[in-house]
Amino acid sequence: MTALLANSRKVQFSGKHKDVVANAHFRLIILLLVFLGAFTVIAGRLASFAILEDAQPSRTTSAVLVPARGDIVDRNGVALARTIRGYAIRVIPARLLGDKATLSRQLAAIFPDTSEADFLATLTSERPTYLRRRAMPDEVKQVHALGEIGIEFPREDERLYPQRDLAAHILGFVNADGEGVMGMERALNESLTQKSLRATPATLSIDSRVQAALESELNSAMISTEARGAAGIILDVKTGEVMALASLPVFDPNKLRKDTIRFQTNEVTQSVFELGSTFKPFTIAAALDAGTVTDLAVRYNAMEPIKVAGFTIKDDHSQGRYLNVPETLVHSSNIVTARIADNLGKERMEDMIRRLGFDERPHIELAERGHPIWPKRWGRVTNMTIAYGHGIAVTPLHLASAYAALVNGGIWRPATLLKVAPGEEAQGRRVFKAATSARMRQLLRMIVSSGTGRKADAPGFRIGGKTGSAEKPSNGGYNKTSLVSTFAAAFPMDNPHYVIITMLDEPQGTAETSFQRTAGWTAAPIVHKVVSRVGPMLGVVPDEHRDVDVSELTPLLWSPKG
Amino acid sequence: MNDIPAKNTTPDSLPDSGQVLPKKRFQLNSRLGRSDRTPLAIWFWELDRVLLGLILTLVAIGLIAVAAASPATTLKQSTAAVTIEPLYYFYRQLGWVIVGIPIMLVVSMLPKEQARRLAIMGAVAAIILLFLVPIFGKTVNGAQRWIGYSFATVQPGEFLKPFYAVSVAWLLSLRVKDPSLPVISLSVVLTGIIAILLLMQPNLGQTIIFCGIWFAMMMVSGLSARLIAAVGVGGVGGLLGAYFFYPVATLRINSWLFGGGEFDQVMFAHKALTGGGLLGTGPGLGTAKFNLPEAHTDYIFSVIGEEFGLLACIAIALVYLAIIVRVFLRLLDEEDNFIILAVTGLTAQFGGQALINMAVNLQLFPSKGMTLPFVSYGGSSALALFCGIGLLLAFTRRNPYLDRSHYISAWPEKGRIAV
Repeated sequence: MTALLANSRKVQFSGKHKDVVANAHFRLIILLLVFLGAFTVIAGRLASFAILEDAQPSRTTSAVLVPARGDIVDRNGVALARTIRGYAIRVIPARLLGDKATLSRQLAAIFPDTSEADFLATLTSERPTYLRRRAMPDEVKQVHALGEIGIEFPREDERLYPQRDLAAHILGFVNADGEGVMGMERALNESLTQKSLRATPATLSIDSRVQAALESELNSAMISTEARGAAGIILDVKTGEVMALASLPVFDPNKLRKDTIRFQTNEVTQSVFELGSTFKPFTIAAALDAGTVTDLAVRYNAMEPIKVAGFTIKDDHSQGRYLNVPETLVHSSNIVTARIADNLGKERMEDMIRRLGFDERPHIELAERGHPIWPKRWGRVTNMTIAYGHGIAVTPLHLASAYAALVNGGIWRPATLLKVAPGEEAQGRRVFKAATSARMRQLLRMIVSSGTGRKADAPGFRIGGKTGSAEKPSNGGYNKTSLVSTFAAAFPMDNPHYVIITMLDEPQGTAETSFQRTAGWTAAPIVHKVVSRVGPMLGVVPDEHRDVDVSELTPLLWSPKG
Repeated sequence: MNDIPAKNTTPDSLPDSGQVLPKKRFQLNSRLGRSDRTPLAIWFWELDRVLLGLILTLVAIGLIAVAAASPATTLKQSTAAVTIEPLYYFYRQLGWVIVGIPIMLVVSMLPKEQARRLAIMGAVAAIILLFLVPIFGKTVNGAQRWIGYSFATVQPGEFLKPFYAVSVAWLLSLRVKDPSLPVISLSVVLTGIIAILLLMQPNLGQTIIFCGIWFAMMMVSGLSARLIAAVGVGGVGGLLGAYFFYPVATLRINSWLFGGGEFDQVMFAHKALTGGGLLGTGPGLGTAKFNLPEAHTDYIFSVIGEEFGLLACIAIALVYLAIIVRVFLRLLDEEDNFIILAVTGLTAQFGGQALINMAVNLQLFPSKGMTLPFVSYGGSSALALFCGIGLLLAFTRRNPYLDRSHYISAWPEKGRIAV
């Protein structure tokens, strides 16, 4: 009985048990579906973050590897512009706890260049404002020590020019939104900000050591001659690479101020000048090329000024005699140059000037390029004045590119601020015959060794060049006392590698220049100093036993006996 | 089938000269092999090794994640005088893992009855400790959850979770044996007491987990659909009640619903989670993680999102899901009512905690003090989890041959015919 009872109970139990287990399995599947649903929601949310909100690795983290804006370096990899994580100081007035007057007094003590009243106005305004867009860690520390929770210190990308004002006109600067607004920052804006390109720095053609030497020599000359400004450029004649380009006074792209805005004009590429006698070698070269001058010994009348159509052309330092071609350049005779240009004819003269690129903006990456002032009518008189550099205004960069063509064998190339790999220089176009170029090297060297450019000579560097002292136009005429003194040179003259242009805007005669304002006394000595400093950096070894052979031309220079 | 006896006879049939080497090989083959009859080997073959593999994967992910999150927390905790080493929490977590894995394995070796006994005793001990918390407990971050001295400081609530699940499963399974027992009322009372003790700490997150475990087990134990709906409504009502009458919940839910402004932790978590894109910034390169509160515990999922990307987050969610699916599917051919309930409870605890933590990180849920199982840093929580998973492994152990389907036994027929 008991056994039967036990047995029946067991059967009953097991039946119930089966029921319970089956129900449990059904509920388990429901629970599993609930979990599946919940995890689908989680995965869906993650996917929506990835797709709909377009989650990207944040800028701050990618800056560790790739800067927000690419670096700019010089040809040797020296950093000229970098992007760093800087501090800004920002105030959220609604969150300020302390007394605003006290706070503005404390801030004014930390930043003496802003008044207490200005700070108070900022602190009492409604909206969050920047107190400083860029702040030094030290300043941040001091402000932080004020203990105000309404002031925060966001880290922001900051464009830093570690060489300060060096090459400021080449580099330019960026605006608050990080867009390049001047110089190479503007010209290269696209590639500097493009994600795929900005990891590798943009390499400029300039050499920061050469740039520094050029800037320092121009600056000391500008100060000693009390000039309004100065400009200079050093150009590789074979590739068109700009090794240095300086426009003075300078500004600091790290700290743009109202009072330095006018210095932001790039005098080398933006401002146009009548460059005067530096044009004479072009006229002579064109005449040699065209065959209108075949014999350098032929003499031209320089006894008295030429009068053409009511216009008088005269020499500043009249020799009062007939001059041959070498003497014309050595003594910088306007009269003879005008006669040679007249013989050449205006078509051929204009053709040469156009082929040298003087009729368009200079060729360089920068956006700041000035348009030359081209004569309205190219008549006979214009032709004769342009021969000695009046009646046409071009930028110093135009002149540098043209001088490169003059001495490098006759090939004109556009200038570039980007480093050119060997063998990849621009095609260029022939302007002068190679023979003419060789002759011009001798003539330019003679101007420095025994002419108006003597003060440019640096022993062993075989410098050749031409002075140019142009009177500045004013009130419809020319002002005799305000000059633009230019010296256009190349070195080493036996195998020219670099062209160097130095220019002073309105130099004053001082004791140092024997009270002379002309280029031979003001601009030429800068070339001497700069070349002595930068020659070895540029791979030009001073050698007093080498020079271009001018022995066939030396006898043509007449010198008084005694 | 035929070559197994052949293998066994190999050593005997070999000539004497080569006897030493093959014997050695035989021993190596047999270690944990199917012919090994040692308790260790039996345990190994009974164990759900896929589940163990998934758990160890999570532990490994957790170590990497804690290493990534540790600097963010130590930097916050360092003061001018005391600098905490950046990887402090990583080394601690490594220590917990080294202690926890053996605990998990030992617990998983227990026979089912012993495991059950351990859990019930553990539950009693933990509830006693929980009662002592309001009296002797330590207060950290405004919540009194800890008890003990120096290294022996524990959160009884954490340990109670797995033991509670097993104990309630045992209670509910008694119903089948004797329907007259008031097991449901008993479990309600037990859960209610625990909930009150936890809310006093205050610890709303844990309370929700306990209620969730209870609800999952009630569901599987066969509560009628109408009652389930009633409990569900009651749960929503409870949450609403918490929102209106429980200040901690009001605060958290408000900041979730209305956004806590620019510098709220919800915003920081979102910035970190999406800061790495699909593939992440790379280990150690995250920056948004430094803004996170509790980067190494509650918001570790966001740290993973920043440094390893959203794809890694999805992968981690899938590992949790895989564990849950694996356990549940295995339960579908389990007959023992207690085991079904206990495993359901343990899984609900594990999965629920993971879900809530991820949902909080993804702003799908108001923020809770809830760790991501095995990934977040935590002493008590890690040990309790290892214990709980040890129990889970113990209960899911089974003789692979015992319940083999009769469909499979048909296969050797062919072989026999061929011979």
